[in-house]
Amino acid sequence: MIERYLVAASSYAQDIDNLILLIAVLVGFWLVLCEVVFFYFIWRFRARDGHKAEYVSGENKAHKRWITIPHLLVLVCDVFIIYGAVRVWVNVKQTLPPPDATVRVIGQQWAWTFVHPGADGKLDTADDIAKIDELHVEVGKTYHYELSARDVLHSFSVPVFRLKQDAVPGRIIRGWFEPTKTGEYSVQCAEICGMGHGLMGARIMIETPGEHAAWVAGQKPLSLASAR
Amino acid sequence: MRLPRLLFIALLLVCAIPVAGISGPDADLARGEALFNTCAACHGDQGQGDALLLAPGIGGLSPWYVEAQIRKFQTGVRGAHPNDIAGLRMRPMSRLLRTDTDTKAVAAYIGTLPEPPTRVTLDGDAARGAPLYAPCIACHGIDGKGNPALQAPSLHSSDWYQLTQLKNFKAGIRGRADDPFGVMMRPMAMMLVDEQAMKDVIAHVQTLGR
Repeated sequence: MIERYLVAASSYAQDIDNLILLIAVLVGFWLVLCEVVFFYFIWRFRARDGHKAEYVSGENKAHKRWITIPHLLVLVCDVFIIYGAVRVWVNVKQTLPPPDATVRVIGQQWAWTFVHPGADGKLDTADDIAKIDELHVEVGKTYHYELSARDVLHSFSVPVFRLKQDAVPGRIIRGWFEPTKTGEYSVQCAEICGMGHGLMGARIMIETPGEHAAWVAGQKPLSLASAR
Repeated sequence: MRLPRLLFIALLLVCAIPVAGISGPDADLARGEALFNTCAACHGDQGQGDALLLAPGIGGLSPWYVEAQIRKFQTGVRGAHPNDIAGLRMRPMSRLLRTDTDTKAVAAYIGTLPEPPTRVTLDGDAARGAPLYAPCIACHGIDGKGNPALQAPSLHSSDWYQLTQLKNFKAGIRGRADDPFGVMMRPMAMMLVDEQAMKDVIAHVQTLGR
């Protein structure tokens, strides 16, 4: 359903969409139910001639049930949400499937530097390809990313992947993604990082193996051993 | 039906009065001043610069030079190298200027700002730098004030900025092949054998009359 409004282009995007949908449906159900009950009470106990206002202390068992029963039911809903959230979290953030390739992602005010492996498929070799605001990946391949920040906090956000990971100066944070759809999509910074934060956008190009190989072949190597 | 239409036309005319009243060079400067508010966050309200923010003094720079540099940042000819820390900050900011008119207006306004006073932050030796400056004279002039015909800017700006740019030219961070005047600076910067030579020549430039 969410995919109708924002393309899902990673192997875990659908899982995250399903989790968001589950939370939205459960919370939405309780929101609507509560509003209906509140408005019913407002109408049912409206001001009428001959009726004095009454303070309800909540000690009466019949009254307390209006709190305890929904409370227990909400806790049951929480179990479903927590189960779904932990399952997705473990898959996306705590598991690192074996990579086909690794890219280095460096945030700095106000640009993203992406260091791609060259034809040898390895980083930190002479044929590395560094690009500003342009990340090229191959569809169907599992990528690890090494995320760092050169100055202040940034956040590497790829909406079509449903991926968002903070970049912290002094740390190299590793994660993964597997693109599942070709195309050109947005990369954003999702952490306020200074006055140019809103302009810190980049593009991700998800290419077929042939397109990606042609792109790699057409690039001038630019090794950036110091750029981490 | 007639009254609303008349009111609408009257409203349009009222709106047109201020627009018609501020055309011409003054309007450009007013527009430039308004646009400069964004630049002032780093470069200072008088374009005096701020070394902590890696923002050089730009007050009084020639409009043609400012305009050319903004265009280079906009098109990625400058500020698109991963190791150009300050350039990467200017790259998105330059793109806030959406039209040629705006770029010209802000460049013109910067040209009206006072030149920032000389502030020495490097330990260069001006006497040793004087002979090193000899090759620079051909384009930047004996007084370092530049020559628009050769697209050579004035060198009277923050000394730390000059040092960073000389290093950038030497390392290939600035002066790409598609930057015809920038690429000319690369061999010139390479003539300065080390950082001390760069500091010395900058120290000499600082002594030249403004």
